[in-house]
Amino acid sequence: MDIKVLGTGCANCKATIALIEQVAQAKGVPVTLGKVEELREIMGYGVMSTPGVVIDGKVVHAGGIPSRDKIEKWLGA
Amino acid sequence: MNARVELPPAREVCPTTTRRLLGEGALLVDVRELSEVAQLAFDVPGVLLLPLSELEQRYAELPRDRQLVLVCAVGERSLKATYFLMYQGYTQVANMEGGIMKWARKGFPIRGTAQAAAPAATNCCFAPAPARNGCC
Repeated sequence: MDIKVLGTGCANCKATIALIEQVAQAKGVPVTLGKVEELREIMGYGVMSTPGVVIDGKVVHAGGIPSRDKIEKWLGA
Repeated sequence: MNARVELPPAREVCPTTTRRLLGEGALLVDVRELSEVAQLAFDVPGVLLLPLSELEQRYAELPRDRQLVLVCAVGERSLKATYFLMYQGYTQVANMEGGIMKWARKGFPIRGTAQAAAPAATNCCFAPAPARNGCC
């Protein structure tokens, strides 16, 4: 599962990455986790509110830190 | 949800070029919040106010067949707005780098006082615009 977190590096984006890492590890789900930090690239997904989360090329979340529940659903965990 | 688009770098123009474009029929679109505009505004006929917070809902109000120049306080939010419009297929869009602060520093027409206009808190996660070699 390829996961990208969109955002230019503020606290919410860092928290989102950390949370996804945590949940993936706890549930034993293999993920490749990457950051998209450049504005032009972020806007290429049409995401106005960051952090955004893209899974296998699809935007699944935009704005605020996603809840643990939501992340577990994405990971099918 | 959103399909991914490879966006080219946004066109950025300095305040001087912006004035020329306005003379040629371009539309100035100010994406600051109305409270900011109340303190300091572009003194330009026909400037359109469309706060960034409402852009996603209201962008269809913006003409596609006319040159648009997006502006804000320092040119960061307007750059985001420019990219958003490009994502939506607008081709005649440009960001005015430096925002109203640069416009005011150059002595271009404003209403209100530049000191009053500290940029409003933007969304979380917003990188400063990279340095540009403008024409000014």
